[in-house]
Formats: sequence, structure tokens, C-alpha cells
Amino acid sequence: MASVVVAVLVAGLTSGAIYALATVGLSLVWGSMGMLNMAHAALLALGGYAAFTAVTTLGLPPVVGFVAAFAAGAAAGALLYVSIVRPLLRSAPAAFETNVLIATVGAGIALENAILMTYGGQPLKQPVAAAGAFAFEAGTIPVQNVVIVTVAVVLMVATALLLGRTKMGRAIRATAQNREAAELMGVPVGRVYLQVLMLSGMLAGVCGVLVSAITQLTPPLGNDPMLKAFIMCVVAGLGNLPGAIAASFGLAVIEAFVQYAAGARWGFPVLLFIVIAVLVWRPSGLFGRAQIRRV
Amino acid sequence: MMPEAAASPLPVRRRNTAARADLAVAFVLIAAAVALPFLVDSRYVLGQVVLALFYATVATQWNLLFGFAGVFSLAQMAVFAFGGYATAMLCFYFGWSVWGAIPVAAVATAAASLVVGLACLRLTGVYVALLTLAIAQVMYVLIVTDTECFVMVGSTCRQFTGGAVGFARFGDFGMRALLKGQWLVGNYAIVAAVFAVTTFITYLVVKSPVGLAFRALKDNPACAVARGVNRFTAQLAVFGVSAFFTGLAGGVYAAHFQAIGPGVLSLSQLLFIVAIAVVGGVGQFWGPIVGTIVLVAADEAMREAGEFRTLGLGIIIAASMVLMPNGLVGRFHDLARFLAARRAPAAPPAVSPAE
Repeated sequence: MASVVVAVLVAGLTSGAIYALATVGLSLVWGSMGMLNMAHAALLALGGYAAFTAVTTLGLPPVVGFVAAFAAGAAAGALLYVSIVRPLLRSAPAAFETNVLIATVGAGIALENAILMTYGGQPLKQPVAAAGAFAFEAGTIPVQNVVIVTVAVVLMVATALLLGRTKMGRAIRATAQNREAAELMGVPVGRVYLQVLMLSGMLAGVCGVLVSAITQLTPPLGNDPMLKAFIMCVVAGLGNLPGAIAASFGLAVIEAFVQYAAGARWGFPVLLFIVIAVLVWRPSGLFGRAQIRRV
Repeated sequence: MMPEAAASPLPVRRRNTAARADLAVAFVLIAAAVALPFLVDSRYVLGQVVLALFYATVATQWNLLFGFAGVFSLAQMAVFAFGGYATAMLCFYFGWSVWGAIPVAAVATAAASLVVGLACLRLTGVYVALLTLAIAQVMYVLIVTDTECFVMVGSTCRQFTGGAVGFARFGDFGMRALLKGQWLVGNYAIVAAVFAVTTFITYLVVKSPVGLAFRALKDNPACAVARGVNRFTAQLAVFGVSAFFTGLAGGVYAAHFQAIGPGVLSLSQLLFIVAIAVVGGVGQFWGPIVGTIVLVAADEAMREAGEFRTLGLGIIIAASMVLMPNGLVGRFHDLARFLAARRAPAAPPAVSPAE
């Protein structure tokens, strides 16, 4: 019995860490610029494949794989800003929220297919992975899962420090609170948006490496984490970072228990029912505040 | 001319010309639809036109929901699949004819969609998009992973939802028996009639007071509610109407192809519908039809390129959103307005030297 609980908890916490990392990237972009990035899944895949290229193809050490994922994610984020976000903000700021959603859907599809055409559809093995397991009385914990949780927690702490303690973080928070006021105070809002998208891309890239380390490298590998991350975001309230992390771990453990108790196919539907219940009860999420708009 | 006198007749005239333009477009479309089977001999082309009519129907209903009522639902293909599956299951398990099953399936689809509408009622904007996308994904996952035996057909096991394979050969419109080799023309007539009727009723809905209420809720919910628009009934009504017609199209789709499977729920199908609406123009009544013509033609052209199809589709969606947020029809209106503005100021200088 104890070993089952340990196994389910390990699975739940591992996927919780992955969901949390994906959610932080999404939530950061939503919170600061009101943009739902549907290309996030493709950024995850891009990070995973960038690490593969650096380590397997070029023969560099595995740590460089993380650097490659960082770099690829940041570059894709910058590209997204230049090609889509900046023109859309200029042409129709009022309809930005829905326009950017549709445009990033298109960008995500294009990127995912570009990856598919470059690397092929057959699953590849992620070289940035750890083998072995820690053995305990109550069961075993694979090293890979420990690595995933550690990397995710380190990155989230780093993001929190960046947002809370640096000048750049202050500019991001100011823009999130009130874009016009921040602009009047001399915050270069365009540059803040660029930084946020690059940061989100970096987190997505590393998240892709972690996801592919416990599964496999396939072009659509980011879709499942992104869909779950959306659910976490919605439950927590879009744009709320601590809430999103809490929701990620909580719901991932619930999902793992449901999958163990009722079969793998019921994990996602149960999550969805929880989301609907939460939204009917609190339409702006558990920790979200209702938006009050003046007419 | 007096400014007051000039101000009042203008909107009336503009409305009349708009209505006349709509009528002209409708006549051209109907004439083209009637002439097509006489002009086109190739069975392949006619088959693709039938498929395009399905796309146009579904995209028009999505446009009603998103473009006019502002409900950002991503469950459109799930609604379509619901209609198709309901038709197939009624025929398969109860031996109904498709003619009886399709209307019942459409009503069932509307009912199921009202439940989704109730869940979405308190949400706004992107929350609706995320929730409906998740619902569509759950439907897909539950159908594809369904492996439990429900009935035995011969020596093979069949799942309740048809599983990853779906349903096939549960009946058709009877055109094969009636028209023999020309059966495709018969099916084309049915699909074209469904498209024409649903589009016409959608037009009436958009132009009716209910349609104005939808648009008011989209543009400014708080103002609309303050002016007495009932958000609850209006939003449920638009969910119901759109789902009924989408479900109807789904049922006709299943009957035309004599098959329905989880493939219609795939993300690329939904994206194609979204791309059609975006390229044509979201919130423009003729947008989805223009978008269908352009995208089906582009898709046909990219067929040669094979693997580049999906890549091209993604780039088309992103680029047209960035370059023309109101779509081709919106760009056409911009052009018309630009030409009118150029013609209008040209008149006064011609008068002033004479004074």
C-alpha cells in the first residue's frame, strides 16, 4: 500500500512540476500583456529538439542541452514578438486578446510542422536524461523525476526572484498592473513585452526538455502539457503565478490518483469536471479577482 | 444642401444598398450552385465542392457564435461531430433511416450544446475558449480510448462510441438507388440545400432584433445589459441556434460519407474552420463563404506540395490575422469606403468655381 502511495505521489509531483513550469510561462505572458500564447506547445517541442540537436547531433555535454533549449526558446519568443505581437498591438489594440490567440494558433501549427519536417515524425530519445533510481523501504524514486522537480523548482524560484527583486521585474510588474501608467512613468512597454515573451520561451524550452525526458521527443509533445497548463491557469485565475503553481501540483496529484484508481483515460475528464465546477462557483478562478470595468 | 436633410436619408440609403448587395451576392451564389452540376463533369471536383459546402456551413455557424455574438467557442467541431455521431448511432443501433435520424440528432446537439452554454455563461473571452477547447479534447480522448465491447458485430467487437475506427455503412440518403451513377449530384443537391437554408436563417437571425442583441452583448456587455438585453437568454439562444445548424450539418456529413470517426474532432479540422472565418472576415456575414472559396482553392493548390499543407495553413492563419484583422471581406469594405471617399470630395471643387 505504501509503495502505491509513493508511486502515485511521485508521478503526481513530477507531472505537477512540469505543469507548473508550463503554466508559469503561459501565466506570465497572460498576466503582463493579456495574451494567451497558443504557440506555447510548439515552444516546448522546440526546446526539446534543440537539446537533442546540441547533445546527440553535435555531441556536446548534456548540460549544454539546457542552454540550447534556453536559447531556442528565447529566440522563438523574440520572433513571436517581432512578427505577431508588435504588429497586432499597433493595428488593433482593442481586439488584441482574441486576434493574438488566433494568430498564435497559426504560428504554433507552423512551428510544429516545421519541426516535424526537420526531424521527422518518429519518436526520438531525449539525450538530456538521468538514469537510475533511489531505493527506499517504501519503494523507488527514479533519479529523473527528482531532476525534473529540482529543475522546475529552481527555475520557478529564479523567475520569482527576477520578478520581485530586479529592475526588469519591476518594469514587468508595473506593465502588468497598468500599461498606460507604466508607459507614462517611462517604462519601455515594447521592450518589456519582448523580455516577457523571451523569458516565457526560455521556460517553455526547458519544460520541453523535461517532458521529453520522461516520455519521448515527438513534434506534438507540448500539446498535452499546454492543455493541462491552460486548465491550471483557469482554475487559479489567469495571470496569478503563485496560484497557478499551487493549482498545478494539487491537480496533478489528483490526476495521478484518478488515473491509478479509475484508469488512465479518466484522468483528464475528471480534471475538466473540477475546472467546470470551480468556474461555475468562481468565474475568475480560485485566486482570481473579478474584473470590474467601467462602461 | 442643408446638413440636417443630408444626414437623415443617408443611413436609409446605405442600409438599402447593403441589403441589395446581400441579395445580389445571394443570387450569384444560388445561380452558381444550380449551374455547377451541369458545368462540372468531374466527380472529384463535385466531391470537393460538397466538402467545401460543409466547411462553409460550419464556418458560418462559428461566425454567428464568435463574429456576431462574441462567444469564443473552440468546440465547433465537437458540436459538428456530436451531430454526426448522434445520426450514426441512431441509424446503427436502432436501424433508423438517416432522414429521421438527422433532425433528431440536430435537436440532441442543440440540447447538449445548451448544457455547455450554461457552463460557459458566467465566463468571458478567453476563459470560454479554453473551457470549450478542453471539452472538445475530452470528447476526443474518451472516444479514441474507448475499447470496451458494447455489441458484437459478426466476430468483431464494437465499442459504444465506435472507438478509434468510428461508424460506417449505417445508411445513406437513398440517392444511389434513385439516381444510380449520378448519385453524387443528388447528394450535392441535399448538401447545397442545407447550406442555403441554414445560411438564410442565419442571415435572418443576424438582422433580427435578437441578432442586434447578440452584437450589443459582444460590443459592450455592460451597456447592453443596462439597456435591457437579457444576457442569459440571448447567449443560450445563440448557442442553441448555432449548435442546431452545426449538428444538422454534422448529421448530413455522416450520411453523405456514410462514415463518421474521431478524425473530425482533430485540431487541424477545427483550425481549418477558424482559418476560413479569419481569412474571410470574422463578424462579416459573407466572410466564411469567401474564406471557404479562398482556402479550399489554396488547399487544393498546396496538395501538390503535400507535407507543406499544414505549415502553409498555419502561416496563412497567422499572416492574415496580422495583415488583415477583418479578413478579405473587411478589406473589400475598406476599399469600397476608400473609393467612395475619393469620389465624394471630388464633387465640391467642381461646384465652387461656378459660384
